[in-house]
Amino acid sequence: MGAAVQLTKVSKTFGDLQALAPVDLSVDSGEVVTLLGPSGCGKTTLLRLVAGLEHPTAGVITVDGDSPSAARSGKRIGFVPQAPALLPWRSVRANAELLLDVNRGSSRSTPGATVDDLLDAVGLGDFADARPHELSGGMQQRVGLVRAFALDAPLLLMDEPFAALDELTRADMRHLLTRLREPSGATVMFVTHSVSEAVYLSDRVVVLSPRPASIVDVQTIDLPQPRSADMEDAEPFFQATVSLRRALTGGPS
Amino acid sequence: MKLARSLAAPTLGIASFLLAWEALVRAFDIRRFVLLAPSQILSTLVEDPAAYWGNTLVTARHMIVGLVIALAVALCAGSAMAASRFAEEAAQPVLVAIMVTPWVAYMTSVVIWLDFGERPIIFLVAFTSFPVFTFGVVGGMRSADPAARELLASVDASKWEVLWRLRLPSALPSIFTTGRFAVALSLAAAYFAEGSSLQQRGLGVIGRRAALDQTGGAEVLWTTIFCTAALGIAGLVLLSVAERFLLKWHASQRS
Repeated sequence: MGAAVQLTKVSKTFGDLQALAPVDLSVDSGEVVTLLGPSGCGKTTLLRLVAGLEHPTAGVITVDGDSPSAARSGKRIGFVPQAPALLPWRSVRANAELLLDVNRGSSRSTPGATVDDLLDAVGLGDFADARPHELSGGMQQRVGLVRAFALDAPLLLMDEPFAALDELTRADMRHLLTRLREPSGATVMFVTHSVSEAVYLSDRVVVLSPRPASIVDVQTIDLPQPRSADMEDAEPFFQATVSLRRALTGGPS
Repeated sequence: MKLARSLAAPTLGIASFLLAWEALVRAFDIRRFVLLAPSQILSTLVEDPAAYWGNTLVTARHMIVGLVIALAVALCAGSAMAASRFAEEAAQPVLVAIMVTPWVAYMTSVVIWLDFGERPIIFLVAFTSFPVFTFGVVGGMRSADPAARELLASVDASKWEVLWRLRLPSALPSIFTTGRFAVALSLAAAYFAEGSSLQQRGLGVIGRRAALDQTGGAEVLWTTIFCTAALGIAGLVLLSVAERFLLKWHASQRS
């Protein structure tokens, strides 16, 4: 079951720099919402605010009615950073277990899939005892996904996790992400600047303006769930892509 | 076979060095106090190996105990400095002052303060080597991957967990690097402090006594110098072995 996220008039300023104009956004339980915007527009800031890693200058954020800090200390947020951030001294399995190992008191008593099951599911079963440096970039990011999913958190926050990967690997990763999320139905907020990634993954796409980020458009992606790779070649996918690109560049939709 | 190959080059290097040394002393007929030939050092060593071995062990103990204390202090101070810029800026000039002040000069005061015996020796060893370690700890901890720090923050990891699971392992490579300097420094401090503390045993004790004996001390003096250097090399080898074992994951240890 996913968590519901509510942002009310949330803004963020760093010194003189306004990163985020007042934003209102509500994300339903189990929804996949993508934040799409140009580089440096403040979409990562928005995600970090929801994660409780930054505090808003004004406005209120709730995760299932609680503050982000409370959700964070209750380990109800699975965070996937842009870099895989694997610890080189830990094996692949130990890296995947990292978030379970820390702040143990708040770990869920009945976790979903085990780490080994998840590693199998992403095709890394044979690499469980390998070290991160023995893996390719795509494999490392798969460990990053397993690490977040192992928490069995109701909210997943992903900050351009596939940005550094080549196009083919990137497409594989979004298919994989969809499959991994299916059983838990966790809510996902996903930051990207890839239009096709946004269309493939999302129920709704929030289009942000250049800095200071504000919401310029919210588009519902009307493709059947669950998504599959062959949809990417079909006409509705193409139309959704065109529509989003127009919203992003300020052209007619 | 692999071990033999990796030992071949250093063995050849040391052998050539000793040969050149021997040749130099004989060719120029250098006075024994200025430089003693390796062959004479060896014969002095063979005359009474147990005495030199025993004194080397005493010096080794002073060095190891001092280094362990230095590392423990450096880990505490370094963690605090890595966690707070203010603490770092406040501590840095003090550490630099400790590092640049010649310990040879204040050793007498340390002996008067801590009395004769082992305490001033261990104090000096620890005191001279802890700033070096501290800089290594701070630099290493600061190098911890910011994305990993953020990740740990996302599940509200405690400061202690961040230290233990991220900062400390991140600091290991630079602790090993500074460890090499600390070994050299601590050995010099141990040798000198032993000589100043009126102890009965230790390479520095017999070395100092021999240095005062202008007629027959050259053999003993140079043999203690030789033993001290051998101890330093043993320390560095031990450090390299530990590094290879503990830092298997680090780029520096991969061929």
